[in-house]
Amino acid sequence: MSTDSSSDRPVREDERLDSDGVARQRPAYTESQVIMTTVKVVVPFVLTYGLYMMFHGAGSPGGSFQGGALVASVIIMIAFAFGIDATRIWVSNTILVGLATVGVLIFGGLALATIALGGAFLDYSELLILNAIVELPANEWAKWGMETIEIGGIAFIVAGVLMGLFFLLASGYDPEADSGHTAEVRADD
Amino acid sequence: MSDVVLPLLVALPIMISVLPLIFGLKYENAGWPIAMGGSLTVLALAVYTITEVAANGRLIHALGNYPQPYGIELVGDELSTLIVLLIGLVSVLVLVYSRTRGPYGNAFHSGYLLLTGGLLGVVLTGDLFNLFVFLEITGLVTYALVASDRSGKSAYAALKYVFLGTIGASLYLIGVGYLYVATGTLNMRDLQGAIETVGYTDPLIQAAFGFILVGFALKVALFPLHTWQPDAYAYAPDSVSAYISALVSTAAAYALIRISFDVFTVEFFLVNDLISTAIMAAASVSIVVGSLLALMQTEIKRMFAYSSVAQFGMIVAAIAVANETAVFGAIIHLFGHGLMKAGLFMAAGILAAVYGARTIDEYAGLANRSPFTAASIAVIGIALIGIPPSIGFLGKWFIGLGAVEAGEWGVAFVIFVSTMLTLAYVFRIIEKLYFDPPGDPHGHGSDHEHEHEHDGAATDGGHELVADTSAVTVGMVVMVVSITIAVVALGFSWELFFDLLAPVLERFFQ
Repeated sequence: MSTDSSSDRPVREDERLDSDGVARQRPAYTESQVIMTTVKVVVPFVLTYGLYMMFHGAGSPGGSFQGGALVASVIIMIAFAFGIDATRIWVSNTILVGLATVGVLIFGGLALATIALGGAFLDYSELLILNAIVELPANEWAKWGMETIEIGGIAFIVAGVLMGLFFLLASGYDPEADSGHTAEVRADD
Repeated sequence: MSDVVLPLLVALPIMISVLPLIFGLKYENAGWPIAMGGSLTVLALAVYTITEVAANGRLIHALGNYPQPYGIELVGDELSTLIVLLIGLVSVLVLVYSRTRGPYGNAFHSGYLLLTGGLLGVVLTGDLFNLFVFLEITGLVTYALVASDRSGKSAYAALKYVFLGTIGASLYLIGVGYLYVATGTLNMRDLQGAIETVGYTDPLIQAAFGFILVGFALKVALFPLHTWQPDAYAYAPDSVSAYISALVSTAAAYALIRISFDVFTVEFFLVNDLISTAIMAAASVSIVVGSLLALMQTEIKRMFAYSSVAQFGMIVAAIAVANETAVFGAIIHLFGHGLMKAGLFMAAGILAAVYGARTIDEYAGLANRSPFTAASIAVIGIALIGIPPSIGFLGKWFIGLGAVEAGEWGVAFVIFVSTMLTLAYVFRIIEKLYFDPPGDPHGHGSDHEHEHEHDGAATDGGHELVADTSAVTVGMVVMVVSITIAVVALGFSWELFFDLLAPVLERFFQ
């Protein structure tokens, strides 16, 4: 929704005032072959590295905070190379909000599921009930429970929130804009 | 098994808080019903918890079933469930109020539920580091909510709050770090014994308490660390002012009581006489200066904000007095102050919405136009002074009585002085409301008053003063009036509180 409102907003070259009342001479976006090519080359590696961080976070240095941040940085790099507004439309508000919120729901859902099974909050030993499907020892189930939280919960939240914050900051502060628009991707939760 | 209600209380509001964002993608006004559902859930769970705890003693839930003291645990005893009940009540009341008054929007309602969850976490956790995490959640959401009407002034207030609130949380964290260095544990129940083993006069322990105390002094806004608070309360939207003034500092003061008596224990205060004297002195200054500053204000919300500085000074003074009566009074006052301030800020918000009245002078003669709201301000104000029967009286009385019992005549005298000052500023409002002629020369006869009583809402028809009747609904006035009735009715209920809190006080002062 916020994408619509921002795309028809005039770019800052057209003498739009910034929040401090100064018209900045900042070019909105310049196409650069160097940046675009570099980003195209680098992005697959960064994305792979981010995913590696996520998946190995439970057993080795790294983790979903770092992994999620790396994945978000992929989108931020693409935004710098191909234009922030264009990238925002491409990624879409729905995906950003979806990532952050679904992450919270997966995290909380697993925690509450173990309560529903009769255990404590986040009690991984209750996952042994899944032995009916796959036979695994208790510590393996604890590991898979942790991985679910890491990958499905924290990584989604961190990636979604970081991207949302970036697009929010990039869209700038417009005193005339109605309070509903930019607040939709508000990312502190 | 009933202990699973504790993680539910913390996790459900946080999980529900994402729903307004998800449904907001499709529906413009999804936020309010979801927030209301979440708040009602919290209230229902709170009522269940308090009955359960009153019947069977405190509940303890080990998260993930990790053995103590290594895992994090949630603890619900009589004191924490009382505050949980306050949180549940106020979140429902303020939400009814904000339905028409705003702020609107799905992001606001997400933040609202997240703040509720964070506050419940602060109140229910049994782990010092976990407490820090929840303090930060509470703080971050509060900063966002203060600025949620997106005006320049509220952004300034929020920024100031960000700086000071972050410093407060950091000081607390440093204190927790010192405790961890000294004892090697973070679990509150475990720390109690560990601190005793290290010794109450150990410099590390004393320094830890100092940092924690100053951190919380910033969070509860004691003079001279209060500077963020009047701006935040005055410039935030009215609904947010009511919510945060009732709950955010209250949760921090609760945590200070919890840490003082469950972690450091009363022995610590007995051994470290200098520390208790210093706290008493600082709190006394806060009481007097807060009341004086409140007296000097012309803006209503700012006056109530400074009054909070004085009231929290009283609560902290009671902690330093450290006897059963004073702490009992502090807990009652914590509960009562939350209710009273929620009511006052909501009533002030109604008058601001209908008449645009935000200063004392603009309140002239409004009692004839909005009899219910004006009467609520008057009655809650009188309760704030400490005139019986009211919950404000109970809190002040027991704090004062405790100070006298402990031989701390200075504290008792300061409370008396502050009562006089409170009398002065509350009567300034009452005088303006009831005895000053309104801005326009005609149209406040007794027949009008009957008219108002019939339609029930604090509205006014066709005078020269511009009255925006659409800004207020009957529900908002009903909320304010019911808080007023509760404030008075609870004045008769000290035995109820005493029965509930007796096990906690016994544990604190065994």
